[in-house]
Amino acid sequence: MALQVYTASLLKEGLVAYLALENGQPSWTSDIHQATVSEEDTLDALKQAAEQSEQENIIVAPYAIDVLKTEDGIVAATKREQIRAEGPTIELPQDNLRESRQAA
Amino acid sequence: MYQYSEQDHQLLLERVSQFRGQVDRRLKGELSEEEFKHQRLRNGLYLQLHAYMLRVAIPYGLLSSEQMRTLAHIARKYDKGYGHFSTRQNIQYNWPKLEDVPDILDDLAKVEMHAIQTSGNCIRNTTSDPLAGVARDEIEDPRPYCELIRQWSTFHPEFNFLPRKFKIAVSGATHDRAAVAVHDIGLRLVKSDSSEETGFEVYVGGGLGRTPMLGKVIRAFLPKQDMLTYLEAILRVYNMLGRRDNIYKARIKILVHETGEEKFRELVEAEWEKIKAGGLFLRDEDFNWVKGFFNDPAYEAIPDNDVDFENLMLNNAEFARWVDKNIELHKQSGYRIVYLSLKTAHQPPGDVTADQMDAIADLADKYSLGHIRTTHRQNLVLSDVQLKDLPALWEELKALDLATPNYNHVTDIISCPGLDYCALATARSIPISQAITARFDDYDFINDLGDVSINISGCINACGHHHVANIGILGVNKKGTEVYQLTLGGSAREDAAIGKIIGPAFEADEIVDAVGKVLAVYLESREEPEETFLMTYRRLGQAPFKERLYG
Ligand code: HEM
Ligand code: SF4
Repeated sequence: MALQVYTASLLKEGLVAYLALENGQPSWTSDIHQATVSEEDTLDALKQAAEQSEQENIIVAPYAIDVLKTEDGIVAATKREQIRAEGPTIELPQDNLRESRQAA
Repeated sequence: MYQYSEQDHQLLLERVSQFRGQVDRRLKGELSEEEFKHQRLRNGLYLQLHAYMLRVAIPYGLLSSEQMRTLAHIARKYDKGYGHFSTRQNIQYNWPKLEDVPDILDDLAKVEMHAIQTSGNCIRNTTSDPLAGVARDEIEDPRPYCELIRQWSTFHPEFNFLPRKFKIAVSGATHDRAAVAVHDIGLRLVKSDSSEETGFEVYVGGGLGRTPMLGKVIRAFLPKQDMLTYLEAILRVYNMLGRRDNIYKARIKILVHETGEEKFRELVEAEWEKIKAGGLFLRDEDFNWVKGFFNDPAYEAIPDNDVDFENLMLNNAEFARWVDKNIELHKQSGYRIVYLSLKTAHQPPGDVTADQMDAIADLADKYSLGHIRTTHRQNLVLSDVQLKDLPALWEELKALDLATPNYNHVTDIISCPGLDYCALATARSIPISQAITARFDDYDFINDLGDVSINISGCINACGHHHVANIGILGVNKKGTEVYQLTLGGSAREDAAIGKIIGPAFEADEIVDAVGKVLAVYLESREEPEETFLMTYRRLGQAPFKERLYG
C-alpha cells in the first residue's frame, strides 16, 4: 500500500497544511516534511484526527494524498500535490524582481 | 462612468456587513463549511489550490483611477502585492485570508466596487468592448446598456439560482472586441434595416468549457426598449427548462442545442409575448438617465497631428514600434487609445503588481482623464490620450514594463492560472505561456507574423479561451504527466469559430516547438504578408500543419 499523509486547507488563512500526529495530538504544518506518514495501520488514526480538526474549525476539506519517500524526505506523488506543497512553480510578480531583471 | 446612488451604497454596506457576520460565524464554528461555502461563493470567494481566491467585479471592464488605487492597496495590504486581470475583465487576488475578506470588501465598497456576481449560478458581471465610447467603428456606446443590465440583474431574485452560471456580453461596434458569440447571451448593437434606430442582434447559447459552442442568432433585431423584457424571457425559459441534473449539461448552450434553435426561439418569443407589456419596458427617460453617466468627457478641439510626436516616430524606431502595435485611432481628433501590454517575459499574463497599479492610476490621471479599462485579452487600456502626450507616456510605461509592442500579436498570450493556482486544473498554463514568450520574443518575428492569437487553458473548463484562439493550447493530465493539446483555427471576433484539435497531445517540452512549426507553416504558405494566420489556415485547412507536426 502506498504511503500517505493527510492534507487540508487552514480555515482562517486558506493555506495548505499537513497533519502531524504526536502522541495522539494533532497539529497542522505547512511543511510536508513534518507530516506524519501513515503506514497501513495508522491511516485511520490520521483520518480521525483530521476529521476532529475539521470539526474544531481549524481546517477545511481534509483528504489523504500519496507520498513517496526519497533521499530528501517525503515528496507528494502527483504534480498537483507537489505544487500545493511547494507553491506556484513560477516566480510571483514582485516589483523589485521586475526592476532587477530589467536592469540586468 | 456610473455613480452609485444612496441606495446602491446602502445595498453594498448591508451586503458587506451580512458577509462579515457570516465569516464571523464560520470562524466561530457556528456555520459549517458546507453552509458557508454557498455564502462565500455568493461573494466571489473561492478556496483554491494554495489559498482563498477573491474575484472582484469590474463592471464591463471600466475602472476609475481611484478604484485602481484601491485595487493596489488591497494587493499590498491583504495579498502578496499583485493581482490577476482575467479574461472576464475582472481582477482576482490569489492569497487573501478569510478573516481579512470583510475588510477588503469594505475597502472596495468605499470606491463602489464589490465581488458580487463573480461566482455562483447567477447572472455574472456583464462584459463589453474595452473601447466602448471611443472606438471609431462604434454604432452606439454599449455601456449604458451594460449598466442597465447590471442594475437589473444584481440580486434579481428570480435569477439567483439558475441551473448554472450565466454570462452576458454586449458589443456596440462593427468589430467584435467582446467575444459576443461565446457568451450565454451576446448582444450586438446594430442599426435596423428600415430606420436609423439602433437595436440588438441577440445571440444565445454560446460558451466554451468542455462543449464549446457559438451562440445562435435568435433575433436579428430587438428594439432596445425591449432589452430587459427579452433578456427576462430568455432567462425564464432557461430557468424552467435548463438541466439541473447534470452539471456538464446545465449551461444554456446545451438547452439551445438539445431543444433546437427554432424551437428555442419560439419558446422565448412566446414567453416574451406574455411579459413584454407588463415588464420593464425601457422608456426614453430611462435611457437619458443612464446615458448621462457615459457622456463624452470634455475633449479638447485639437488637430490630429503633433510635430514632436511625428519627429519621434521618425527618429526612434522603438517608439514607432510601440505606436504601430499598441496604439489605436480614437473617434476624437488628436486623441489616441493606448493598450498597456500585460504580456511580458517577466510576469504571468494578466498579472500586475501593486506598484504598477498605482502607477497606472497616476498615468490615467495625468494623461487619460482618470479612467482605465480592462480587456478580455487580459490587457489594460488608457482610452483618451492626447497625441502630443504619447512620447512621455511611452517613457513612463517602458519604465513600468508595460510597453511591450505586442498587442494582438503572438506573445500577447491569454493564459488562465492553470495548475500553479487553480484547484480544477489538470496542467500548468503559465509556464507554457512564458516558454512561448521567451522563444518568440523578437520584434521582427512578431511583426512579421502579424495578427495571431495564442490562448492557453489549464483544463477543459477553458477559462483561457483556447477554443477561440487561432492557436489554442489545452493542458491535460495523461497518466500523471502534463501534456498539451493543440487546436487551430479558432476566432473570438466577428468571424467567430471554434478551433479544431490537430492531433495527439505534446509533452511540455515539445509544445513550444510544435507552436513554432505551426507558425513556420503559416509563414511559408501565406500568399502575401497581409494574409493573416487565420486566413491561411482557412484557405489550406489542417493538412499542411498536421503534416509538419506529425508527418
Ligand atoms: C478559481 C479559479 C476558477 C475556477 C474554479 C473556474 C471554474 C470554471 C468552470 C467550472 C468553468 C466551466 C463552466 C462551464 O462549462 O459550465 C469555467 C469557465 C470559464 N471561466 Fe473559469 N474558473 C476559474 C478561473 C477563471 C479565470 C482566472 C478566468 C479568466 C482568466 C476565468 C474565466 C472563465 C471563462 C472565460 C470561462 C469560459 C466561458 C464559459 O463557457 O463560461 N475563470 N470556469
Ligand atoms: S481553465 Fe481550468 S485550470 Fe484554467 S482557470 Fe479554468 S478551471 Fe482553472
